[in-house]
Amino acid sequence: MKLLGAGIMLAAAFAALPLFTMRSDLLNLGVQIFLAVVLAESWNLLGGYAGQINLGHAAFFGLGALVTRTLWVGGTPLILALFPGALVAMLFGLIIGVPAFRLRGAYFAIGTLGLAEILRITIGNLLPQISTIPAAELTSYNILPRYYLTLAMAMVSVGVVAWLVPSRLGLGIRAVREDEAAAEATGVSTLRHKLLALALSTALAGLAGGAFAYYHVSYYPQHTFSPAWTFDAVLMSYIGGVGTVHGPVLGALFYVILREVLAVRWVEFHLIIFGVLFMLVVLFFPGGLVEAWQRARRLVSRGSENSK
Amino acid sequence: MILTQQLILGLLVGGLYGLAAAGLSLTFGVLRVLNVAHGELLMLGGYGTFWLFTLWKIDPFVSLLAVAPAMFVLGLLLYWALFQFVVKAHEDTRIKNSLLIGFGLTLVLHALAIRLWTADERAVTTAYAGAVLRLGGLAIPWLRLSSLVFAFGILTALHLFLAKARWGRAIRATAEDWEAAALMGIPVGKTYLLAFALGTALAGIAGGLVSVSYAISPSIGLEWTLKALVVIVLAGLGSLFGSFAGGIILGLAEAMSVVFVGGPYREVVGLILFLIVLVVRPQGLFGARS
Amino acid sequence: MSFETNFWNNWNFWNDWNSVYELRMLEVEDLRVAYGELLALQGVSLTIRPGEMVALVGPNGAGKSTLLKTISGLLAPRAGAIRWQDKIITAASPQRIVEHGIALVPEGRRLFAAMTVRENLELGAFTERAQKEKRAQMERVFTLFPRLFERQRQTAGSLSGGEQQMLALGRALMGLPRLLLLDEPSLGLAPKIVESIFVILAELHRDGMSLLIVEQNVHAVLTLVQRAYILEGGRIVGEGDGKKLLEDDHIRAAYLGPLARGAR
Repeated sequence: MKLLGAGIMLAAAFAALPLFTMRSDLLNLGVQIFLAVVLAESWNLLGGYAGQINLGHAAFFGLGALVTRTLWVGGTPLILALFPGALVAMLFGLIIGVPAFRLRGAYFAIGTLGLAEILRITIGNLLPQISTIPAAELTSYNILPRYYLTLAMAMVSVGVVAWLVPSRLGLGIRAVREDEAAAEATGVSTLRHKLLALALSTALAGLAGGAFAYYHVSYYPQHTFSPAWTFDAVLMSYIGGVGTVHGPVLGALFYVILREVLAVRWVEFHLIIFGVLFMLVVLFFPGGLVEAWQRARRLVSRGSENSK
Repeated sequence: MILTQQLILGLLVGGLYGLAAAGLSLTFGVLRVLNVAHGELLMLGGYGTFWLFTLWKIDPFVSLLAVAPAMFVLGLLLYWALFQFVVKAHEDTRIKNSLLIGFGLTLVLHALAIRLWTADERAVTTAYAGAVLRLGGLAIPWLRLSSLVFAFGILTALHLFLAKARWGRAIRATAEDWEAAALMGIPVGKTYLLAFALGTALAGIAGGLVSVSYAISPSIGLEWTLKALVVIVLAGLGSLFGSFAGGIILGLAEAMSVVFVGGPYREVVGLILFLIVLVVRPQGLFGARS
Repeated sequence: MSFETNFWNNWNFWNDWNSVYELRMLEVEDLRVAYGELLALQGVSLTIRPGEMVALVGPNGAGKSTLLKTISGLLAPRAGAIRWQDKIITAASPQRIVEHGIALVPEGRRLFAAMTVRENLELGAFTERAQKEKRAQMERVFTLFPRLFERQRQTAGSLSGGEQQMLALGRALMGLPRLLLLDEPSLGLAPKIVESIFVILAELHRDGMSLLIVEQNVHAVLTLVQRAYILEGGRIVGEGDGKKLLEDDHIRAAYLGPLARGAR
């Protein structure tokens, strides 16, 4: 409950921000953060809760971006362009998921990795030119709708995960993560649950891609399929606290803000730092920032008790 | 004629694919750890050869005498710092964690390489680089041919080590059944360490050979990891020469795709083949276990 | 002395010396071993004296394999101690245990099926101590198991059940153990082969080897051993002379079934 309160306050703060300042660098940072939240929450749904490591998450982000961009630049209103993007991403996810989930863990991971690369190279060959918004849109470009759209998406993604986790479906998904054989034995259809998590995860990633397509003025289409997006999602989920609802949010905040701070002078440095941090978290501190926060609170409360 | 020429080139690069895959196959087969940073290690080996050549004019084949041991030591360090913790878990968690750690390592090594050496492509161009063997109407680059023979030689040496040497056999025994191996008095931790370091050294050697006949840059890491994965899925685990054959098959498949579909889709064909084999026959064409 | 006895003299010296001073060879004290939350051994104590052949019998799931695995170092106990010649070896690595002189012939043999008979044997002699004697020891093993000599270049997976058990035994012997632990040596083997295996075990014992044999085939093993423990539900519930236990009603009812009772 406290988490919900904190989350609402945070969202409200972000929503109110444009009332106080219209600095484009801050608002852009906000968009980056919100996109990162969706990316991380969507990966975490499949990777943290269902235990299926998806190393090709970028593929679904890219597909969403591709479809939405194409439709929107072609004249479709944004709202109508977003959903096909999510849908296509989800379909691709299921296409790879149905055969890949029959196999053991590693095969799904490397299969998705391969899929993402296939898409990246193919799109790079088919659409090598930079994609830009038409001139009319460009002149009327306003950061605010992008800001609020991505904020809404971030809240939706957190909401979806928060709703799913305690539900019966969510329990089934987590059972699959803990012990597939045991879950199957107790009547949980592991394939169905894995596919459900996959569908939600890829759809959300596709939405994020769509938002990106709406937000970014010009980019190379193959860039949206770059493994960097997967790296980001995985890193943020783990550093924040994989397998929790608020972990990816914390991770996204930490990651994006620190990246901005470091990007001024050391461009690759932040990747090295985060990479090392990520490995340390996986090996020694699987709870990530969420766990660090809980431990800190316990220390403080024990401290205040001792001083009574 | 063009087809045959492309096939020859495919064969020649296939040997390197096989060598790259052999290192990964070794670590996966023995430790049950899938180090997706394998391609980055290959890339490091390539840079090692490149700098030794560029700075001190050391012939690349000779520099491998330094690069291989250096990569071996790097493998020891990486195992000590990272993978020894990964192997403590049971198999499923182990594979999952190794994917994550490998992923993190990929990120760090890739970023480090860009930081140190920029994203530019490099290549080692020796005096004899352009020499070509002409057979019929075909042009076979001597350098690539030597690399193929060299790669095959390395694999043969490794095969002999695994077959005859005390520690080589210990590696094979541990790969098959680590508990039974432990009961023989084989120190499993040290065996893992050795296997991992050997795998890293193999990656480094492959990288060195790549720098000679092809170009290297920080981004070849992921590319070669995928190549190695494709070969492992094609050829299955358990046999070094199976990996070599799998590499050749991939090289030939890519060559055919270049002729029929066009150059830009070369990588894609290999990856699609990979996905198909993954779904249809995950234990590979010659594989012993999945 | 017989031809074979000469060969196993290695063990004779140490075992005689130990028995002179009544040193206990292996001592397990109040061992508790758990799998996660499940307590498989709930305070097990037993002793093996030098030169003894001891059996450990009990129903399925009693914890017999768990006990052998813990002694061998494959499992770490929650509590309790294991002493070897008065040195603590609890939770030592399997490698150290072998170096100390304890070898386990595991349940189901666990041979390296892809490797040849010869390679399996050579792997058994991995430790430094065993490496020195490798050649001589392999000759001894081949003398004991001529069938293995014939098939030395065949892969272990291609051998028959009985031959595999012989190989597993030979492989353990290559490590120059002073105490041999056997987990269900008769598992899956025809009665005739079981007999021949036990004949060999008796021979090893006669030549000075100490043995702890876990067996379901109670009849075969109890006639052979000097002493036996009964393990049930993770606890030792009985101990005694091998042949006497065989005649005990409880044992006969539990393990030998109505046929055996009729056969008396």
